[in-house]
Amino acid sequence: MAATVAPARIRASRWQVVEYQLYVGRRIWRSMAVVGIFTPLAYVLALGVGLGAVVDGHGNALGVPYIVYVAPAFLTAAALQIASADAAFPIMAGFKWVRTFHGMAATPLTATQICDGQLLWVAIRIFANSAVYLAIMAAFGGTERWWVLLTIPVATLTAIAFAAPVAALAATLENEGNAFNMVFRFIVTPMFLFSGTFYPISQLPQWGQDLAYVSPLWHGTVLARGAAIGHLGALSALGHVAYLLGWLVVGLAVARWRFAVRISK
Amino acid sequence: MLTFTLVTSPTPRGQVDTLTRNFADTLIQARGLTKTFGKFTAVDGIDFAVPRGEAFGFLGPNGAGKSSTMRMIACVAPITSGSLQILGMDPATQGPAIRGRLGVVPQQDTLDLELTVRENLYIYGRYFGLSRAVLRDRVEELMDFAQLSDRADAKVEPLSGGMKRRLTIARSLINDPEILLLDEPTTGLDPQARHVLWDRLYRLKQQGVTLVLTTHYMDEAEQLCDRLVVMDNGGPPDSEGVAVGGGRIVAEGSPQQLIAEHSTREVAELRFAPGENAAAAEQISSLLDPASERAEVLPDRVLLYVSDGERMLARAHEQGLTPISSLVRRSSLEDVFLRLTGRSLID
Repeated sequence: MAATVAPARIRASRWQVVEYQLYVGRRIWRSMAVVGIFTPLAYVLALGVGLGAVVDGHGNALGVPYIVYVAPAFLTAAALQIASADAAFPIMAGFKWVRTFHGMAATPLTATQICDGQLLWVAIRIFANSAVYLAIMAAFGGTERWWVLLTIPVATLTAIAFAAPVAALAATLENEGNAFNMVFRFIVTPMFLFSGTFYPISQLPQWGQDLAYVSPLWHGTVLARGAAIGHLGALSALGHVAYLLGWLVVGLAVARWRFAVRISK
Repeated sequence: MLTFTLVTSPTPRGQVDTLTRNFADTLIQARGLTKTFGKFTAVDGIDFAVPRGEAFGFLGPNGAGKSSTMRMIACVAPITSGSLQILGMDPATQGPAIRGRLGVVPQQDTLDLELTVRENLYIYGRYFGLSRAVLRDRVEELMDFAQLSDRADAKVEPLSGGMKRRLTIARSLINDPEILLLDEPTTGLDPQARHVLWDRLYRLKQQGVTLVLTTHYMDEAEQLCDRLVVMDNGGPPDSEGVAVGGGRIVAEGSPQQLIAEHSTREVAELRFAPGENAAAAEQISSLLDPASERAEVLPDRVLLYVSDGERMLARAHEQGLTPISSLVRRSSLEDVFLRLTGRSLID
């Protein structure tokens, strides 16, 4: 009697959230392309080629041209920076300003699916960005071997491992997001400077090295550089991957929880 | 408790529809439904049931727990205690399955302003797992229904408030829902836009969609609702000084029934010179039938809740009272609302 007809087949999934982002992306692809091309060009030219000429002319002891040494680290750092930005204000907007997540929450989509879909989209974008970055590196002589292709998944993993806790923060903040400035100023930027990006961390004092060990970007940089140049054992590679996966697993769990709390408020 | 009231006091609109339907077909059933936020009680153990095909309204001032109730029905906010069944299912465990059969028009639009009208509808349909082929036709139909076909490929951002609201309603229908939840659907719209929206909602009702809405517009409630409940804030703080919050049902019935139960047939509004209203009311009070009639003194006028307004006015004149102006009207839902929830401002 109660009209419980068989529920319509529900095939909603995180991919529908990605599909939505693709539609939004169609509107803003120009700005995404500018970021995706201009950033690598600027870094590879200014620091890889420019600074590289200086370093290589003054007894470079790194074993490879400076651009080959530094470019994989730039690629990984750029991935992490763009991913953190994508996980910050866009997610805050989805809850606070445009409220798209509240719209999604009224459909069969669950908080977990919305969270995962959003981060999946960030990962896809980072993957594509990293591929473009690698192509620009290659065009300026920043690559030496095919293994360098692994920098793309490595950078994506590093980026999303850090973006997941940023997404959790974005889903939690009720104010205008000033905390993001703190994250960028006091975490993201120092990470870039102290993660062995420009030179091996053995050049740092002990406290600097300790900071690097904690930094997911250092682990990503070691992996990316290992792919680009070699000299990285399988076991230590696994260790770095495991550390990044740890960040991802914990970050994703917290992000899902914060999404669920925010949606049900 | 309540479904029977439909029989004893049918409403002019939707009466046949509702009566021919099976009464056991209850789509929403709440018992002792409660929502608390810390020590604050937003919804305090309310009972209601909504049968299929009915237009059911929650009326109440701000803070009376209407939106909290709606969010529990929409399966986005968990209930604190009591029980809630929607479409025969439990929101706690079958949220996605229930949401797949609901349409939701939230108080604040959640449209994507960067996308076009068509894209908003299409994407929302995708969240329900609907195929592109199904959506192609449905999106066209809904744009037609919402009178937005000529704006199909326009971005949403510059559309008027009324258009955005119509798009939100169209979007909420993308999954062909059995229950449509509308949280203050016309707040902030101009009169023209409101009437267009009411027309659309009335059509949905005729098609058999169950409507559940909140509003603080009495005309909207009278226009759309077969039956409604009036919610109000709780009383003063309890013995330990803790605010008890709101969220109680203080009355329930069809608009006509509520007027009959909680007000008189007519209201005479007498305006006296400033400062003379209280004295005039005092004098008139002796003319009233104490069992069923009453007078209310406002700063600028006296309201007489009576069965025959013209006669009362004539008798007031006989008493030598000379109001500056007077007006006799039928009692409205607004009189009931103010009677039940008070005139004091709630912020």
